[in-house]
Amino acid sequence: MFDTALTTNDLIFLARGAGVTLIVTAIAVFFGTVMGIVFGVFRYQVGPWWAAPLTFVLDIFRSIPLLIQLVLANAFVTTVLGWRVSGFTVACGVLSLYTAAYCAEIVRGGIEAVPPTLRRAARSLGLSWGQDMTSIVMPLAVRIALPSWIGLALGVMKDSALVYVVQVVELLKSAQILITRLQEPLFLLIVCGSFYFLISFPIARFGGYLERKWSRD
Amino acid sequence: MKIKHVVPGLVLAAALAGPAFADKLDDIISSGTLRCAVVLDFPPMGSRDESNNPVGFDVDYCNDLAAALGVEAEIVETTFPERIPALMSGRVDVAVASTSDTLERAKTVGFSIPYYAFENAVVANEGVEMTDWEGMRGKTVGATAGTYEAIWLEEKVTEWGEGEFRPYQNQADVFLALSQGQLDATVSTVEVAQANVASGNFPGIKIVDKAPMVPDYVALITLREEYGLINYMNLFINQQVRTGRYAELYAKWVGEGEPADLTVQGVYR
Repeated sequence: MFDTALTTNDLIFLARGAGVTLIVTAIAVFFGTVMGIVFGVFRYQVGPWWAAPLTFVLDIFRSIPLLIQLVLANAFVTTVLGWRVSGFTVACGVLSLYTAAYCAEIVRGGIEAVPPTLRRAARSLGLSWGQDMTSIVMPLAVRIALPSWIGLALGVMKDSALVYVVQVVELLKSAQILITRLQEPLFLLIVCGSFYFLISFPIARFGGYLERKWSRD
Repeated sequence: MKIKHVVPGLVLAAALAGPAFADKLDDIISSGTLRCAVVLDFPPMGSRDESNNPVGFDVDYCNDLAAALGVEAEIVETTFPERIPALMSGRVDVAVASTSDTLERAKTVGFSIPYYAFENAVVANEGVEMTDWEGMRGKTVGATAGTYEAIWLEEKVTEWGEGEFRPYQNQADVFLALSQGQLDATVSTVEVAQANVASGNFPGIKIVDKAPMVPDYVALITLREEYGLINYMNLFINQQVRTGRYAELYAKWVGEGEPADLTVQGVYR
């Protein structure tokens, strides 16, 4: 019969790891999205020439592997700047910037997808830039950008497994700790994978629900 | 635009970091936390208990060091190859991770005096008359092929000119053969020997004596230039031995018997 040394205590330990994964992801997606909207609108608004320095910085975050970013950022903050901040703070900071870099592209793509003729029509009716952005561009762009944004959020959640390098014990690290102790890698990875699924599935379904709801009105 | 801001920022940061960088010992005390790299898949030196908390000789040693400094200990789990990179990249202050004090490593990191030594023990079948390691002369002995202790044992058998040496594929096979009486004796590290005797998986075996091999001395490590901290750690290790804490931790994590002598006869340090 199937036999395992996994105890309730260990399941709670895994659940706590899943909690950390969720918190890190929530913080990164929230701040990443806020910054991503600011950067995306800025890039669209000032044009490619003036946005080039920002584009370059965001490209750095997009093209260097997250693992390297985390290690370098942690070393920079703790040894060069000499700040004693927790690995959790560093992880949230790096992951937020990483999310922002991707989100800026999604936002810019969303805005660009709104027909310029429609926006000109809005402006000629007397709407200000702010009114145009909030009443015309936002509703349309959000519908276009939503699937990519959900994909980004799920991606960030899985990428957050890398924050173990700055001493944050999240879901995957918790599973690895248990694997070292109990020596049941396959079973524990299945349990760990189920935890990830339990977290991601509702987010994916919620995204699908919003898409359907918005496509009707 | 961003880059322009980053460059003066870096210069300013480097200037500010200068004085604060002077001494790690001061940094640790003022921060209130000592971050130790510990390997947690290496019992009895480091492992995790049923609640997944770090435990072991190295974990206790780190806690003692932190208590001596009057700060909180933070155990940072690392693997063996990760120990030195973790130190160099500033993720930890010291490594209490059973690091052998090789001259090659000393080019990169700063070693304290040894805080522990892995010795080798002679383990025999209970049915065999043996009082010390010399009792292996003329007996059938064996060890895991290619290991340090196997090479030593085979050399001894050749030197004695009597008895037999048998190589095995792994440690479990050696202890199984010993338990079943196919072997009279073997040599393994004291920690493995103690654990195997205590596990009850190999009935009929006993630890006879320590083997007269050069022990594997292990030391605490920190950054090479941190003399203040290295000096402190040396005194700390000395105090651990003289207060009996070293023997206490040995009894708690390794088992009965005398812990290894941390001095080397005939030479300073």
